[in-house]
Amino acid sequence: MAPLLEAVKLSFTYPDGTRALQNVTLSIPPGKKIAVLGPNGAGKSTLFLHFNGILRPQEGCIYFAGNRIDYSHKALINLRRQVGIVFQDPDSMLFSASVRQEISFGPLNLGLARDEVAQRVEAALVATGIADLRDKPTHFLSYGQKKRVAIASVLAMEPRVIIFDEPTAYLDPRSTREVMALLADISRQGKTIILSTHDVDIAYTWADYIYIMARGRVIGAGTPAEIFCDAALLETADLARPWLLEVYEDLKNKGWLPATAPVPQKKEELLGLIPYRSRSILAI
Amino acid sequence: MFRLDQYAYNNRLQKVHPGEKVAFALVTLLIVLAAPRPLIAALVIVMMAGAATVIAGIPFRFYLKLMLVPFSFLAASATMIALTISHQPQAGLRGVTIWGWTLGVTPEGLYLAARVLLKSLGATACLYFLSLTTPVVDILAVLRRARVPALLLDLITLTYRFIFVLLATVNDTYTAQVSRLGYASLCSSYRSLGQLAASLFIKTYRRSQELFTALTARGYQEELVVLETVYPFSWTFLCLGALFDLFLFFLMLLT
Ligand SMILES: Nc1ncnc2c1ncn2[C@@H]1O[C@H](COP(=O)(O)OP(=O)(O)OP(=O)(O)O)[C@@H](O)[C@H]1O
Ligand SMILES: [Mg+2]
Repeated sequence: MAPLLEAVKLSFTYPDGTRALQNVTLSIPPGKKIAVLGPNGAGKSTLFLHFNGILRPQEGCIYFAGNRIDYSHKALINLRRQVGIVFQDPDSMLFSASVRQEISFGPLNLGLARDEVAQRVEAALVATGIADLRDKPTHFLSYGQKKRVAIASVLAMEPRVIIFDEPTAYLDPRSTREVMALLADISRQGKTIILSTHDVDIAYTWADYIYIMARGRVIGAGTPAEIFCDAALLETADLARPWLLEVYEDLKNKGWLPATAPVPQKKEELLGLIPYRSRSILAI
Repeated sequence: MFRLDQYAYNNRLQKVHPGEKVAFALVTLLIVLAAPRPLIAALVIVMMAGAATVIAGIPFRFYLKLMLVPFSFLAASATMIALTISHQPQAGLRGVTIWGWTLGVTPEGLYLAARVLLKSLGATACLYFLSLTTPVVDILAVLRRARVPALLLDLITLTYRFIFVLLATVNDTYTAQVSRLGYASLCSSYRSLGQLAASLFIKTYRRSQELFTALTARGYQEELVVLETVYPFSWTFLCLGALFDLFLFFLMLLT
């Protein structure tokens, strides 16, 4: 499949001399769920700012749907219409004191009619589960609620690609589950999702494809199964293995699982593999 | 500040069209300022207090506390206006006389002081009514309708939002300092306060950059266009407000 979004040999140095990206090449296929994993300071957020045309690469280039971005006003507007970013810190996104106005900002910038915008705002409020917050001022919301408003404000623009920069950071377990369920919903609508995270468990079960970054470079890429079987790669990237894989392997080594048992993707799959005791005694 | 803002979003007049509230508050304010006699100002104070507490449902104690803030300043100034110091005997001057100088009050002085006091309180009551019943976002919507330049409105929008972000940052930084004994002695207090101010400056600068980035990512082009809430006109409020203002107006003409 032709990639929707592509970075080719991207390098970027901040004005203070920090080399945030060095020769980064990666491609995002349409409709997939991509996770970008990497320790703090790896350059994930910097990369995302390139995908939206906020930062301009010093070397290399970005392609969207096969076209090279030339950073003209028109190209940028078009790119931002198609690629939305939900930033790490919702407080840096929210500018308005009204939840409704905040969400309406993006769609209005697309030049849509007010009725259409009002409908999209409603739909985004419902999709993110904050319909009852619509008239609340943003400064009286909790962190998790602000995060949802930030997500809704990008959803309402209906971009083809949505980038989530650490969507689950600081969220409680329940909100984390709900946000991940929301991402699954969005993905089912055919949108492409890119997400950065430090949570290997989430990346393992959620992603179709994973990129690993460290010190401004892409040091690994592959399906979750490939990535998390590569012990050397995990070591260099300072990543732990998902608990699901650890438990699965331990069970297999100790003979609780048949050697032919497939590698589980989700908790439910692993639980389904574990046989009942009566039968397992016979197996031993 | 926080409570005032909270009531603005939660009161019984919140659903009334903000244009009506702004018009009512401003017309009444004009009448108070134009009226020559303090009686009208006194009437406005009572009526606005009634409108805010009885009709909008703001707790009376909170309203009283709010009114006391300007009242203490005004009372001090009014006292100074009322007092007269004079070497010559004046008609109606009463007070204490030491070495030929008299410190006291005259009826005119008293009247003037009362007028200033009541007028200022009346004007404050009008503005309190507006800020207690109408969220800033809605007032901005009215101003936008009134063709106030968009740049100014965007500035107010951002300032208003960032007051709360800033307060939260101050609060967090201050707590972090206190928990590490930053304010244990007078000397360390000065140092910590200085650092608080400096870090606030840097953080604010960073925030503004982050906000600009985030706005750009959503297609920001020189104006913060947003969808305004549509409120239906409330004829009851409009009629009551107009009646009250007309009544004041005729009272002003008659007296
Ligand atoms: N505005 C900036 N000016 C200078 N250096 C910066 C700036 N923003 C980021 N950096 C530096 O660039 C590098 C990459 O930062 P980036 O924010 O992209 O990392 P990240 O992978 O998103 O990390 P995290 O997981 O902590 O969010 C870091 O070394 C950081 O210090
Ligand atoms: Mg980051």
